[in-house]
Amino acid sequence: MQIAAPQGAKVARWVLVLPLLIFLSSLLLVPIYLGVKTAFSYDLLSDFDVYFNGFDNFYFLLTDPDFWISLRFTIVFAVVATTLEAIAGFGLALVFDRKIPGKKILFSIILIPIMIAPSLLAVMFRLILNENIGIIPGILNVFGLSVSLFSQSSIIPLLIVLDFLQFTPFAFLLFYAALQNVPDELYESAELDGASYAKTIRKIILPMITPAIVVILLLRFLESIRNFDVIYILTGGGPGISTQTIGIYIYKTAFLEGDFGLASAAAVMLVLLLAPFTPWVIRKLTSSQVNS
Amino acid sequence: MKTLKALWIAALSGALIFTGATSITAAPTTKHQKAVEVKMVLWPGPEGDAMQKVVDTYNAGQGKRDGVRVKQILLSRSDTFSKEAALMKSRSSEYDVYFTASYLVAQHAPYLAPLQGVDRSKYLTSAVNGLRVNNQQLALPLDTSLHFMYYRTDLVAALSQPANRAKYRTISRQVLGKSLNPNTNPNTWTWDDAIATAAFYTQSYNPQSPTKYGYALPAKNLLFNTMIWNDILWGEGGNWIKNGKPAINTPQGRKAINTYRTIYTKGLTSPDSSQWEYAETNSAMTSGNAMMALQWNAAYPELSSTGFTAGNLGIARPPGKGQRTHVHALAVGVNKYGKNQAATQKWMTYLGTERAMRIYAKNGGTPSMPKILNTMVKDNASYANLIRYANTVGYSRPPLKREFDIYAALAKELSPAWVGQRSTADAAKRADRAMARLIR
Repeated sequence: MQIAAPQGAKVARWVLVLPLLIFLSSLLLVPIYLGVKTAFSYDLLSDFDVYFNGFDNFYFLLTDPDFWISLRFTIVFAVVATTLEAIAGFGLALVFDRKIPGKKILFSIILIPIMIAPSLLAVMFRLILNENIGIIPGILNVFGLSVSLFSQSSIIPLLIVLDFLQFTPFAFLLFYAALQNVPDELYESAELDGASYAKTIRKIILPMITPAIVVILLLRFLESIRNFDVIYILTGGGPGISTQTIGIYIYKTAFLEGDFGLASAAAVMLVLLLAPFTPWVIRKLTSSQVNS
Repeated sequence: MKTLKALWIAALSGALIFTGATSITAAPTTKHQKAVEVKMVLWPGPEGDAMQKVVDTYNAGQGKRDGVRVKQILLSRSDTFSKEAALMKSRSSEYDVYFTASYLVAQHAPYLAPLQGVDRSKYLTSAVNGLRVNNQQLALPLDTSLHFMYYRTDLVAALSQPANRAKYRTISRQVLGKSLNPNTNPNTWTWDDAIATAAFYTQSYNPQSPTKYGYALPAKNLLFNTMIWNDILWGEGGNWIKNGKPAINTPQGRKAINTYRTIYTKGLTSPDSSQWEYAETNSAMTSGNAMMALQWNAAYPELSSTGFTAGNLGIARPPGKGQRTHVHALAVGVNKYGKNQAATQKWMTYLGTERAMRIYAKNGGTPSMPKILNTMVKDNASYANLIRYANTVGYSRPPLKREFDIYAALAKELSPAWVGQRSTADAAKRADRAMARLIR
């Protein structure tokens, strides 16, 4: 039997929750509303007039090759970086899941890159890898090796490596936490049954930590889609737009080209393109949890 | 009862926070009861540091008599204009004076109040003219920027050695398809002379060259790099727009693109230079990796005092038939929506005086007043070149409403062609298409 709350308590509940509701709606709903409204507007910095222009911005985007090139680069970058980081993170987690000498110190060292702000890391790399004054090209020069890490052929692999260096520790941390939940008895039983280590990982451990894998892939993929600072600082999206992510496209459209309507439309398009995958990911995530 | 008590506590806490906040914000007004506060945006760096001294001097003297107190707010160097864009668009009155520039003033025009009583004769003509929109002076020039052709004097002098002349001719034929004699006067260089000299000092063509590359090319997709490339376009007699239509896809425009393309694809600059901007260009020169670069005048103090260029630095006009240099001025303009117009006008009047600009110059700024710059030549020899070039080969485009956007679009469309990633014809066509949309 449920006891009805007294009228005063109901009012108090709303009154106490109200500040949070106002806070959330002003920070979430209002910006979303304004963003969508701007997406359907002619809204230039250099022009006083702001007016509704229907689907013009969306039509422009659909026919703008730069938007699609940026989107393609973003997705390819996100897939490659996420895959590499997940594989390396899992490998590292397996190593650290065992007893190894100096584990605590190594653990701390490995986590350092995720504690550094990406923009700061980008500035550091811009200096460290500079062909003229950078320490790494300098050291390689001593051994007679001349490298041009920012050349056209090296720039995309370099960006992936930098993302890999910074975010593999994040994947490692989550994999490590997941592996900590696997009981030691499972390894012992598998060993008694004659399963090799590789087979144990493939047949027992990986299925057990599937929810963690999905979470890690999802988080890293979304983070990589949002990638902005490191690439913007190092390449500005160039040469041309060969390293331009969708985030850089939106930023440049809004703040360099002063076209807020088009930039908002691009942001809305990105949400619309990614939204269909969300229910699938959530379903996958919850079904994995139920199965495990 | 408990519920009522909880509501009372919540209401009381809210009231306390509110009154606390008001008492905190109210405090400064009692301290400077009569002075009206004028808030001005600038960016951090030498300009912000120098301006702070002007602000301090004003607040301690003239400001007291004017009843005005100026507060300078430094936004981040890379994002000042983006933040200002958001403020302007919302017609904010938060700041009274905005930071602007020749390449932005037409875009900022709807949000700036025209300035009255500016003595234009005090300023470099190309600097002050670049801040006029629809025949109205919208901003006061601060620092003037243009380009110098920096080169190593020791290496240019060595070109006249008889042993080098024959080799020079061979290398120029290899790179340009024609045999050239060395030209040891960079002030009369054509781009062919510059390219041939760069090739002569590139180790892949001349293993005895002390520099690895002859040229340091800032070819990153960055609008400021397009400003440097403009020198070549204008030197060739081209322009962005002719008869109201985009004009990059013209013989002059394509030739200007090809000049950069030749430097990059023939290996006269580092392969990394596809991602270079101001800082990397400087480091290529000072580290001894490159022997020449078309670069901003602001680089002079660093280049003349650091590494391989110290004591060996020469300055010349940008090469080319017409020898043109882009000129722009950083500037400040009055926010049309500011609430303290009268006080702001007093501050701007002070800022337009030679007294204010002398303080600005003394503390690291590069004011656009020739009279002040002349007094500083003993500290920075390049100021003599700055005045001379601004008045002779300086060119400031008539401001366009979306000029900043055009610079960004040109950087995006042209930079792949500069580094051989896209054909010159295709890049020129794309640049024209992008401009057509932006000059509508």
